[in-house]
Amino acid sequence: MNQETLVKVDQLTLSFEDDPKKLVLDDINFELLAKENLLILGPSGCGKSTLTHCLNGLYPRELDGELAGEVFIKSKNIHEFIHGEVSHSVGVVFQDPETQFCMYTVEDEIAFGLENKGILPSEMENIIDHVLELVNMRAYKNRIITTLSGGQKQKLAIACILAMEPDVLVLDEPTANLDPVATSEFIETIQHLQQQKDFSLIVIEHQLDGWVSLIDRCMMLNNQGQIFYNGNLRDGINVHRHTLEQQGIWIPMPAKLALEIENQADYRFDTLPLTVDDLAAHQVPIPVRPTRIKKSNTSLALKAEKLSWAKKSTTIIDEIDLELYEGEFITILGANGSGKSSLSKLIAGIEKPTKGSVYLYEKGLNEWKERDLRMKIGYVFQNPEHQFITDAVYDEVAFSLRVRGLNEEEVRARVSVILAQCQLTGFEESHPYTLSQGQKRRLSVATMIIDDQSLLILDEPTFGQDANSTNQLLSLLKERNDAGTTIVMITHNMEIVQQYADRVIVMDGGEMVLDTSPNELWQKSREQLKRWQLDIPIQIKLEQRKQKDVSYVYS
Amino acid sequence: MSIHNLNPSIKAITIILCVLLLTMVFDPITPLVFILWIFFVTIFVAKVRIKKFLLFLSPFLIFAVGMFWTNVAFANEPINPTDVVSLFGRNIPREDIQTALSLSLRILTFASLSLLFLLTTNIVHFILSLMQQCKLPPKLAYGILAGYRFLPMIKDELVLIKSAHRVRGVNRAKTLKEKVRQYKRFIIPLLASAIRKAERTAVAMESKGFTGSRDRTFYRQFKVTPKDWLFLIMMLSVLVTLITIAWQVGYFRWYNGEI
Repeated sequence: MNQETLVKVDQLTLSFEDDPKKLVLDDINFELLAKENLLILGPSGCGKSTLTHCLNGLYPRELDGELAGEVFIKSKNIHEFIHGEVSHSVGVVFQDPETQFCMYTVEDEIAFGLENKGILPSEMENIIDHVLELVNMRAYKNRIITTLSGGQKQKLAIACILAMEPDVLVLDEPTANLDPVATSEFIETIQHLQQQKDFSLIVIEHQLDGWVSLIDRCMMLNNQGQIFYNGNLRDGINVHRHTLEQQGIWIPMPAKLALEIENQADYRFDTLPLTVDDLAAHQVPIPVRPTRIKKSNTSLALKAEKLSWAKKSTTIIDEIDLELYEGEFITILGANGSGKSSLSKLIAGIEKPTKGSVYLYEKGLNEWKERDLRMKIGYVFQNPEHQFITDAVYDEVAFSLRVRGLNEEEVRARVSVILAQCQLTGFEESHPYTLSQGQKRRLSVATMIIDDQSLLILDEPTFGQDANSTNQLLSLLKERNDAGTTIVMITHNMEIVQQYADRVIVMDGGEMVLDTSPNELWQKSREQLKRWQLDIPIQIKLEQRKQKDVSYVYS
Repeated sequence: MSIHNLNPSIKAITIILCVLLLTMVFDPITPLVFILWIFFVTIFVAKVRIKKFLLFLSPFLIFAVGMFWTNVAFANEPINPTDVVSLFGRNIPREDIQTALSLSLRILTFASLSLLFLLTTNIVHFILSLMQQCKLPPKLAYGILAGYRFLPMIKDELVLIKSAHRVRGVNRAKTLKEKVRQYKRFIIPLLASAIRKAERTAVAMESKGFTGSRDRTFYRQFKVTPKDWLFLIMMLSVLVTLITIAWQVGYFRWYNGEI
């Protein structure tokens, strides 16, 4: 194997101007060899993106702060590169699919990088066709970028980078905004590319299901921007299993299950299993997770009849009948654009249906006064910032109580209870925008439960959150649910469905194609689930694998 | 000749020159004939759908009619009060009508010239051409292009924020003061996300090797060909001919700052 060193980072230390004492990166040392795939694991806010900016030449030129140490790309110090030249060696795919393009159509976007590099216009067409072929998007050459799905946009982002033929590809949480099916497609594309092209890979992630087989080496960063492990991924997870959990890093689901097994049964894995196959190879009982018992004695909370919604003559929601009962935990699943969000907005009374009607406690939604309705139904939008209207966390939660005219003493009592529940005590005076992602999310939930709303609807609340804040949010929701609140949650995360939902609703093309329990959903054929862009949770996969093995042994 | 495929920069220069020439003219007949010529070019040569063209023109049409009416109704003291024309059963001095007509036709010519440009030009191509023909700095040009992409995103986001605030129980604003307060509340999340988006896009552009220097190649090349000059000459010569005729016949008037 070629042992040429492509990237060498030597004692890199960095701090920003606004807080010079806090080191974002603290004495980072590592090397990347040719054709090597390196994974950088770390919790959100550990300086991963800052490290990316150091590698692609953005820092120190654009840095407002202090940088010490050296970065070498192909043995050349990054200071010696002329402006823009680093991009010929290091290409980056960023997290947000919406904001990494500046042109209108797919071909123009790929050409943009080539133009910067000064490639002759006569050669561009061939390169563009070639890289689109590589990511299997040849048919989209003339498409307008905004009409692509998130997964396609990320693949286009790789194509743009590949066109510039870099030696190192840096992927900065490339799948954080994608649904599970698009995520696995993206990873497959990368795998496929590595067979055809020579490049090294740096994957920066906090969610590593799917990447495991691709990775040669792993580096782990902690909150202080220090490397605490550099070596084989398997050993790293094995040794640092507890640190990783504390830091809020997503460890692979099979490893997480294995840890639960260790806790429940008296068994210790010498090496933690990272894939379903690894785990299935162990002769251990699968941990029994408390499955939720369907509540039966509940009364009808919300009823929708023949609900239809059309926008400019395209049908978005098509004749849906739905009944929600008090205390249920319902998840709405389906591909992007299948009508999940639209359905949720219709039943929350945020959008008005073109046909059909919704009844909340047997009274039509249009008969409810807006203010009374909002005291019954809470709706948590995908981006928490959209819902903030005041300048302090306390005022934010108190807002609707004050609108109702409660006296300040009562307001204070209720707000402090809710803030404690949402683990936001101590942040009363902070501006909502200065909170962390997880705190913002919990604050947006807090504002929606302050009136003791009996129905809470959430649009992908765990999207892009790290393991800790996801767990905190889910336990908060579970607590509310146990107290009787009906929860309706749009999600792509099948592990959540398996663990929390009483009932699943699957949307496809504006129609409700399934309304059943999670366990029955997993019984559907693989093709069927794939068409709905759904995956099976790891635990179910494992059970199915074991059953197959058993029948294999006895046949 | 396809107006759509003309070099956008030359097309823009043609339009600007026409407008500049027209600002000096102040008789009703020259712009009227020139408007008919623009209509002809837009509808028969550029093949813009009549319905679309009229739809875009209609606000200007209303504005022009209003201009005409106010100028007739609130005209200056006429020099020749006896020379009148009967209109809507009233006697109106001929020169007032002339001034009013000139002004409103002026609006219509400028509007239809701009529409001829807007309806036949891809804005992205226009900016790329400005960069190649008119030395617009790439830093500015790609900045505009990236910003232009944001517009629909910002619009969608505003709709989202509005409904998100409604769910919070924010009352519908009734008085002007409440409305101003409400918009202030919309602005903060909107700006916060716009700034974040802009920063991310800038980082992504730079990591694709964009430096803002003029030293770059172009995938879509815009060249100036003889047919672009032909268009420029044709449009200007029609206008110059009309002005010359007006001069010869004697109804030509310079613009003297009338409103």
